Amino acid sequence: MASYIIRRILVAIPLLLGISIISFAIIHLAPGDPTSLLMDPHIKPSDRVAFIHAYGLDQPVYIQYFKWLWQMLQGNFGDSLIHQGVTVSSLILSRLPNTLLLMVVSALLAFIISIPFGILSATRPYTITDYTVTTVSFLGIATPNFWIGLVLLMFFAVQHPIFPAGGVQTLNAPFSIWDRIHHLILPAFVLATADMAGLTRYSRSSMIEVLRQDYIRTARAKGFRGSRVVYKHGLRNSLMPVITIIGLIIPSFIGGAVVVESIFNWPGIGLLFLDAAFQRDYPVIMALTMISATLVVIGNLIADILYAIVDPRIEY
Amino acid sequence: MKKSRSLILLLSIVVVLSLVLSACGSTSKTSSQTDTKNTDSTKTSSGKPQDGGDLIVGSIGSPTTFNPYYSTDIPSGDIEGFIFNGLTTVDKNLKPVGDLAKSWDVSSDGLTYTFHLKSGVKWQDGKPFTADDVVFSYNIPRSKDYTGARGSDFEQIKDIKALDSSTVQITLKEPYAPFLTTTCSYGILPKHILGDVPIKEMDKADFNTKDPIGTGPYKFVEWKDGQYVKVEKNPDYFDGPAHINTITYKIVPDANALLTQFQAGDIDYMDLQSTDLATGQNLVQQGKAKIQTTLALDYTFIGYNEQNPLFKDPKVRQALTYALDRNKIIKSVLNGDGKIANTPGSPLEKWAYNPDVPSFDYNPAKAKKLLAEAGWKPGPDGILEKDGKKFSFTIKTNQGNTAREQIAQVAQQMWKQIGVEATPKIEEWSAFIQEVTTKPWKFDACILGWSLSVDPDPTAIFASSQAENGLNFVHYSDPAMDKLMAENTSITDQTKRGEVIKQIQAGIAQDQPYSFLYYPNAHIMYNPKLQNVQQLSAADYYHIKDWWIKQN
Repeated sequence: MASYIIRRILVAIPLLLGISIISFAIIHLAPGDPTSLLMDPHIKPSDRVAFIHAYGLDQPVYIQYFKWLWQMLQGNFGDSLIHQGVTVSSLILSRLPNTLLLMVVSALLAFIISIPFGILSATRPYTITDYTVTTVSFLGIATPNFWIGLVLLMFFAVQHPIFPAGGVQTLNAPFSIWDRIHHLILPAFVLATADMAGLTRYSRSSMIEVLRQDYIRTARAKGFRGSRVVYKHGLRNSLMPVITIIGLIIPSFIGGAVVVESIFNWPGIGLLFLDAAFQRDYPVIMALTMISATLVVIGNLIADILYAIVDPRIEY
Repeated sequence: MKKSRSLILLLSIVVVLSLVLSACGSTSKTSSQTDTKNTDSTKTSSGKPQDGGDLIVGSIGSPTTFNPYYSTDIPSGDIEGFIFNGLTTVDKNLKPVGDLAKSWDVSSDGLTYTFHLKSGVKWQDGKPFTADDVVFSYNIPRSKDYTGARGSDFEQIKDIKALDSSTVQITLKEPYAPFLTTTCSYGILPKHILGDVPIKEMDKADFNTKDPIGTGPYKFVEWKDGQYVKVEKNPDYFDGPAHINTITYKIVPDANALLTQFQAGDIDYMDLQSTDLATGQNLVQQGKAKIQTTLALDYTFIGYNEQNPLFKDPKVRQALTYALDRNKIIKSVLNGDGKIANTPGSPLEKWAYNPDVPSFDYNPAKAKKLLAEAGWKPGPDGILEKDGKKFSFTIKTNQGNTAREQIAQVAQQMWKQIGVEATPKIEEWSAFIQEVTTKPWKFDACILGWSLSVDPDPTAIFASSQAENGLNFVHYSDPAMDKLMAENTSITDQTKRGEVIKQIQAGIAQDQPYSFLYYPNAHIMYNPKLQNVQQLSAADYYHIKDWWIKQN
């Protein structure tokens, strides 16, 4: 197992390197640069040139890349080009807690809501319950995240102001946990919907698969009651593939965060990513790209390790 | 199992990359250029001002630094306006009036300005403000080590010295008319705090982001990145304390979120876009909002790249303007929310605005005639041809600005009527700006807007010296105009200078380097409890000190 993990980590290195080269090239070859906002008759064009020169943006892309790589290998993401005098690391660290909170809560929400529904529909296949759950989850898969976000925002924040319209806390009010939770519910729910539908389908089919197994039939034949069979024998085995999805969901949350954070004005790294992309804040874009790429790799690794834990039969 | 894992890994990489790409390609950021709301003032007030209350204002876009000599964005400028004072500011007619300066004398040759400072002004940490602070501040952008982008406004200063603690004398290299309204409006920084910071490192000073201290009506409290900037009233402000206790400058991702948050009551004050005007008026009817409207200090235009042989001949450019029904554009694209522009000047700058310039009002017959004179003849497909080349070009504008996207389509149809083929091309802001404004100027025609400054000097945009490396990206060049533009800033008598600028406007209007389209209106929308809100073209949050909130 240990050697397997080490092997996987070693494989990840060239992979991440490749991702960094491709991303760096795409980002720098895209037209536009960080000075596109300096369109002011009071700003001399020579200042724009000086800026580009000062940050080495006039050098060939491969030289910029190696400089960036060398810096990054030393654990330094560089300075933001837009936020003056702020390092990329401190910028990301200041936003990270918000995104982590959103991700963890929405992951929990997704699991808590979808697994019971999946099981419910698996244990009553081809009934109205099953069809309802199936229909709703297919609707969930088919509906874009941002649309759900906007509809909920319009309904619950503007027409019936039960929830706040955005932000992480009420401004000009003392800190309270309830206030934070209040702000968290809508965005976390919307972010969760992205995975909820899939998870429901996944746990349903996994459960159905398990219920068809011989050992369940045997257990039933021995006289165990239905629910006991389902929860004692079936659940554990059916959850196995579902749990491994955790690792794969993590990266999708970052992608979803860009959308959800900008709808709900949630100051996390998704919103930072969006702003950085618009402003061509290259160091920030690269740092966030590498962080999410690393998360994907780690997510996959976690998925594999979880496999081994829930299913001791798997050998490496 | 193995196969599916690598498939998943591959998919994940795709997700990451598409994340980058989709982030790069998304919409809905508008340009900083035309978003500056500059308007004339209207007062609304009822009853006696009450003290207290917290104001939350919404903004699209984050500030970057609170040091006026380094910031280049509107949000930073807004907050600097709360914290700092300049030597001068402008009144409602955009004329300079004293801010930290009580009065000033100008020598007869227009080169030496002597400023008499107000007495009793204190920094927000209690230290007295003196002439040395002014000398210190203006020397920042004049230093060789200066790394910011604001140097050009201070280039004309030859010498600056403090005569005594309340008198500053500034000598210019040559007479420079925008000096009082432009250079002297920069916020003054405290020497006793920043004096020891090497100018090379001043852009990264903690002062700029964590602890700015000024003389202004509001004191900096806190900046939460991506969320808000908060300021509280300065009880010792030299002009008397402000009425509103705190102002929270809330950062919102886009115009839709801004509107939603206003409707939800999370924001008290915002700039309202023309496209959202109907929603805003609905809120006004429900008693949930007030709206103020005036002409913005902006104009929108279609610029023609004169490096392209198509647009070399002024007759052709005039014809293109003749073919545009600008009244219809304003009606259909802006819902009537603007006014036709014929010149690069704004009617808000009354002393320098020429209402009688040559105008090219909608007249497709005349357009056709001018094009025929220029040698263009209809080809077999109805599109004009000359020397075997078709009159066909692309018209670029930025994504996310609905009005401009629609103008591109409307112009395409209108030009088709006279046999000109234009293909709209919508590009993301940063890419668009780079292609249009920098070498090798990859555009034929573009739709953009300029936000004008308090001073009406057109040099930076239309002088031929600004073509290669400046903002004259259409490569307009006219020696007579160049001469007048060079002259205009050296005339200190406002009336005389106004005459010269009016001549320039007439000349440029005649040459039509741009099809000048319209001056848009600027709207602000705010909570009806907010009183005495003053909307001014040249400054957001004008006289914020006098605004107040009705308690209950």
